[in-house]
Amino acid sequence: MTYLDKDLTTIHEALVNKEVNPKELADEARSKIAKTNGKLNAFNLVIDNEEYKESDSILCGIPYALKDNLSTKGIKTTACSDTLKDYVPVFNATAYEKLCDSGALLIGKTNLDELAMGGTGTTGNTGIVHNPWNISHMAGGSSAGSASSVAAGIVPYAIGSDTGDSIRKPAAFCGVVGFKPSYGLISRYGLFAFASSLDHVGVFTRNVKDAAIIVDHIKGYDKKDMTSIRDMDDVSLVNGLDGNIKGKKLFYIDEICNKDNYDNPKTKEMLDNFDSLLEKAKDLGFEVYKESVDIKLLNAIKPIYDCISCAEATSNNSNLTGIPFGPRGNGENVMDMMKDARTKGFSPLIKRRFVIGSFILQKENQEKYFLNAKRVRRLLVEIFNKLFEKYDGLILPCSSAGAPSLEQASDKITRNDIILENHLAIGNFGGYPSITIPCGFIDKMPIGVNITGKFKGDANVLNMAYALENTLEFKNQTAKGEF
Amino acid sequence: MFTKELMNKYANDLLFDLSEEEVNLLLEEFDVIRENMEIISNIEGISEVEPLSFPYDITVSSLRDDEDLQNISTEDALKNCHDKIEDVAIVPKVVG
Amino acid sequence: MAYHVIVGLEMHCEMKSKTKVFSPATNAYTPSANTNVNEIDLGFPGILPTLNMECVKKAIMAARILNCEIPKKMMFDRKNYYYPDLPKGYQITQNTMPVGVHGNIDVECNGSIINVSIQDIHLEEDSAALDHLDTMSLIDYNRAGVPLLECVTDPCITSADAAVAFLDTMCKIYQYTDISDADTKKGQIRCDVNVNLQDDNGNYITPKVEIKNINSFANVKNAIIYEYERQSKAYEEGKMDELIQETRRFDEETGTTVHMRSKVDAIDYKYFVEPNIPPFIIDDEFVKEIASQIPMLALERKQMYTDKFGLDELSAIVIVKEKSLADYFENCVKIGIDAKIAANWLNGSIISFLNKEEISISDFYLKPEFLKQIVDSLNEGTISSKQAKEIFNKSLEERKEPKEFISSDNKQISDEKYIEEVIDNILANNEDNIAAYQNGKTNVFDFFVGQVMKETKGKANPNITKELLHKKIDKS
Repeated sequence: MTYLDKDLTTIHEALVNKEVNPKELADEARSKIAKTNGKLNAFNLVIDNEEYKESDSILCGIPYALKDNLSTKGIKTTACSDTLKDYVPVFNATAYEKLCDSGALLIGKTNLDELAMGGTGTTGNTGIVHNPWNISHMAGGSSAGSASSVAAGIVPYAIGSDTGDSIRKPAAFCGVVGFKPSYGLISRYGLFAFASSLDHVGVFTRNVKDAAIIVDHIKGYDKKDMTSIRDMDDVSLVNGLDGNIKGKKLFYIDEICNKDNYDNPKTKEMLDNFDSLLEKAKDLGFEVYKESVDIKLLNAIKPIYDCISCAEATSNNSNLTGIPFGPRGNGENVMDMMKDARTKGFSPLIKRRFVIGSFILQKENQEKYFLNAKRVRRLLVEIFNKLFEKYDGLILPCSSAGAPSLEQASDKITRNDIILENHLAIGNFGGYPSITIPCGFIDKMPIGVNITGKFKGDANVLNMAYALENTLEFKNQTAKGEF
Repeated sequence: MFTKELMNKYANDLLFDLSEEEVNLLLEEFDVIRENMEIISNIEGISEVEPLSFPYDITVSSLRDDEDLQNISTEDALKNCHDKIEDVAIVPKVVG
Repeated sequence: MAYHVIVGLEMHCEMKSKTKVFSPATNAYTPSANTNVNEIDLGFPGILPTLNMECVKKAIMAARILNCEIPKKMMFDRKNYYYPDLPKGYQITQNTMPVGVHGNIDVECNGSIINVSIQDIHLEEDSAALDHLDTMSLIDYNRAGVPLLECVTDPCITSADAAVAFLDTMCKIYQYTDISDADTKKGQIRCDVNVNLQDDNGNYITPKVEIKNINSFANVKNAIIYEYERQSKAYEEGKMDELIQETRRFDEETGTTVHMRSKVDAIDYKYFVEPNIPPFIIDDEFVKEIASQIPMLALERKQMYTDKFGLDELSAIVIVKEKSLADYFENCVKIGIDAKIAANWLNGSIISFLNKEEISISDFYLKPEFLKQIVDSLNEGTISSKQAKEIFNKSLEERKEPKEFISSDNKQISDEKYIEEVIDNILANNEDNIAAYQNGKTNVFDFFVGQVMKETKGKANPNITKELLHKKIDKS
């Protein structure tokens, strides 16, 4: 009998009925990690005790995993970067602290792309994270280990972070639910900053209700985060799940979903799946509309993301010099020492991103690159804010195909990035609540559909996903691959 | 024009070195970046638009109270520092 | 054509607050390294800044005093550069929207008023402190995140004296408003000085030189004078190639400035809006309320003291040197002490006492009310000015109100013990007279009373004296 591949309510009831105890659950998680980590490489650290606070929360005594870029006091946190090798934080991320207070049982820290800057799950210093549906495929990134561990049924939920699509894309690739709430609903305090104006903390689960439960536990105004939302403390997301979506209006974007724009047969298959999904949605009582958005603006999504995220990242990671923390570099003088620490500490991908970011921020380029990117960010956000006044949510496929094989994994900036692969960043530009749920398979690899709604409309987005999930047969699925 | 020298200067300003291979890859990426940036700059009427630095126009009307003190211990402060003497971090002598 | 020196100043001042500007760590100087710190000050991964309300209010107050335009919102930027004293790798400061711009302030220099125009004033954080030893440098993060106000003047100051007068005025403003102790001895004030030469048509004839990080007014003055001489010498001699736009530092030992880096090497700080601090709305009401809390400042008070209270210039200058002295003085006047008399006491006995004891007026025992007791008695003629001085000292010595000494020293003496002592002395030397009295010569009693009065200069209370005498010499 295993428990951790079940939903939270079931596990909680098993605990209450004393069918199982937290120690046994922790043992189950550890033995699953021990069995799978050689193939999946989801974890870089496993907690060998069962310390948790007694509480009356549903989360009490249930193991979970944390992406290794959330600060955990006394527990090594490295963001899978050599610059933070052996770094043991002295303070807790607010989200983690809230989970501790709920009695949640941290079982391990999950691998990510180095410093969360990547979309493949292959660039961390602890190696490649594999997709449990097929270990020759990527899990997606950057929250690769969190996605992989939930999909593999090792833990019922895992915490991740999302700057462009770092929760919602790997969730799609791994066939699980990935939810990034409104910007500021969960405090960013203690989340290792990648791009502050785009960074979100979020969650992986295997069903929508669990996602609502977790976010209910970790959301809330935090005086340590000045961008934290102040007026949603009383909102209960889980209580908003009534499945009643009659008359809710969804829209999709023709420029993104029009099959005529794509040659790849897998993408066509993806869009066929999407069409049939829309039909199901209509049957359920949703109204579905086609909308048009200026293609020039849609084409700008990736450039804007690259521009803003690289620029903010280069500054945010300027603290990694090996002086107050992190491995010291060698050098006769202090500047050489800092330089050596950074040269050795960062992988080539990271360095390239920083050079690009720094270039964008240079005095002579800021206006043209950085500020223009922020201007177009506003244009896009204004368009979507208007659309969200008219509609309850935007529905789109999460990607142009399932998880690519590991040979195809590349984080190189290339031409002709297709919008279908990049549109999830809209959710970060506008801080919108955005959820991915599994919606089928292509070539035995899972695919996902995304619903995004207006800022602070988290309850509505979750409820729509909840209703849709119930008509699909992927709720609570775990990966069927060999691992 | 993007050159190897320029890439190395940028990297140097960021306090790290690039390998030959990294420089070449960067040069390739920079060509794309520049094209991508053109996509942004070619959008009409953007000069009129106020840059958006946050996901929405966040403003705050209250701030941190000065009364609320929170220090960490010296031990914690230097726990992750790999070169220290007693209560201070040390580095090679900083000149100028 | 004639030319003169033209100076622009960037004055950094550490502000007074309980916590730091972007972290809740203690903002105070302590000799114990790395004790007033929070994870935020060390730039650990995942930290976020939170803006301190007190610092914002004080920054707005300073901007108001400098007659600056204050924006509708408060915003911050990151200044990105690498240095071992900068744990985050950037400093949070205000570049695009300083809390105050386009201001000006009157400064008194050598007896006349000059108006210094202010480019901007902005709020930012300090870096960690580096202590340089022979082979290594020590980092103390206590100073990291300490609030700083940086005030930048336009290049409009035309002498070293005026530059110092400006700095002095600013320090007084900060002290009067409690924005800062502005104590140069504690390193709370640091200046960058921009110097070049301008001809009488207003054209710059030498490139601008910036002298970084000067921490005393004397050095500011010396650096300007040195730089003026260096630049004019090169200019006069036609050696313009010696002059470049550059950053220099002042060498205290040689009294000269030394090249650090040229304009070509200027650092690009890649400023951009701090994404973790959303704009704080500054509404008019908020500014109004802060403005209403601005106390009357030194220059204004000095003028009031000379114009309204008739003090001489020098006394007024001494009194306004510290706000607490000026407050003391005004309290004296308020409770009815004549201004000039109060000023004399303050600038005479009081200041010399404070200096001798090395205490500040806030720790001074003789509050204005107590001083008034002395002054009033002096006016009434109950005490002489010599006695006033004695009472002043005695009161401070014994920490008792002056009136206690005024009644005993100068009016009737009612202290029984004291009178008894006097009587005992007299009786000891007059055994014959005691015997005579006891043998019935009752008029000798008056002799004894007379002796006591003589001894106490007529101040002994006659009734007490008589009573005591009767007790001592009457036959029981």
